[in-house]
Amino acid sequence: MVLLAKVALGFGATVALAGAYTFREGLLRVDVDGTRGSGQHVHVWLPAAVIPMAMHFVPRRRMLRAGEQSAKFMPLVHAVAKELQKYPEAELVEVHDGLQYVHIRTHNGNLLIDAEEPGQTVHVSCPLATIDDVSHQLAALAPAS
Amino acid sequence: MTSRTRHLFPLIAFLAACFLYAPLGTQAQTSSTPSSTSAHGERWLHVRVISTNSKGETVRVNVPLELAEKVLPAIDHDRLHKGKVRIGCMDCDGVDVRTIFEAVRSAKDGEFVTVDSNDEDISVTKKDGQLLVHVHDKNKPKHSQVEVKVPMKVVEALLSGSKDELDIAAGLHALAGQGDVELVSVKDDDNTIRVWLDSKNVTTD
Repeated sequence: MVLLAKVALGFGATVALAGAYTFREGLLRVDVDGTRGSGQHVHVWLPAAVIPMAMHFVPRRRMLRAGEQSAKFMPLVHAVAKELQKYPEAELVEVHDGLQYVHIRTHNGNLLIDAEEPGQTVHVSCPLATIDDVSHQLAALAPAS
Repeated sequence: MTSRTRHLFPLIAFLAACFLYAPLGTQAQTSSTPSSTSAHGERWLHVRVISTNSKGETVRVNVPLELAEKVLPAIDHDRLHKGKVRIGCMDCDGVDVRTIFEAVRSAKDGEFVTVDSNDEDISVTKKDGQLLVHVHDKNKPKHSQVEVKVPMKVVEALLSGSKDELDIAAGLHALAGQGDVELVSVKDDDNTIRVWLDSKNVTTD
């Protein structure tokens, strides 16, 4: 009984610590809600810490291809993400166009993109540190020009 | 459960709870309304477009100058390369823009161009280290007004590159050294456009 309790305690503490560590970097969150037709709903919530880690498990040739395809704009994404981390709370872009609405801002070190139009809303939230990390990894894979 | 385990349990539970809720705690602390005034020394370029048409389009863009300055050299597209844009018409129809600028820069303050006609009034003035352009279009029902104010140091920085290019990055750097200034103001029947520089990270107007 005592042994079982110890095992349970150890397991519980490990799960709690692992969970806390995983979610410490924040969440990548993508919510797409469509109200047209059958109404498409996509909700993806991922711990941000997992993404750079998961990239190490992607086959090398696929990563090289991704690096090659994104070579043109990845240094720009990396530069923007790196610089935006200095502005954790900022309103960057807000566009109202009739019934369409786009809002890009940073909040708590996350880049938030909200886009709305009749029949569809898209909300994306991603920690800037994750964008910086991923873009840095992809930029490093790009062929030297 | 032994007495030792029983003593340790609250401590472990407390530590686990601290780690687990650390991000939420941080969020709770930082989710208060941000101040509109940015950190010391930050300069923000604001663009606001308000359309008075039936759709009521509005565009608000706030860009930290430092960010623009750092990011611009990372863009390599079309005519923009390493923060410089190739324009290829600095010698437009035999008019050497650089020479004219040099002449204006070294000249005393004054009104250099004045056009008064039935259709529009135009004036180009140099005053207190700034180049002011004013256009008043009389043809439109509400008489459109365009005001452009460019610090001479910014123009100088823009023209600091090679012959047929504008050094945008240098221009932004020079702009960062200026005080709060309204750079462009356009008012006409359909749109109100403002481009200005200040230390606030939100559009407050």
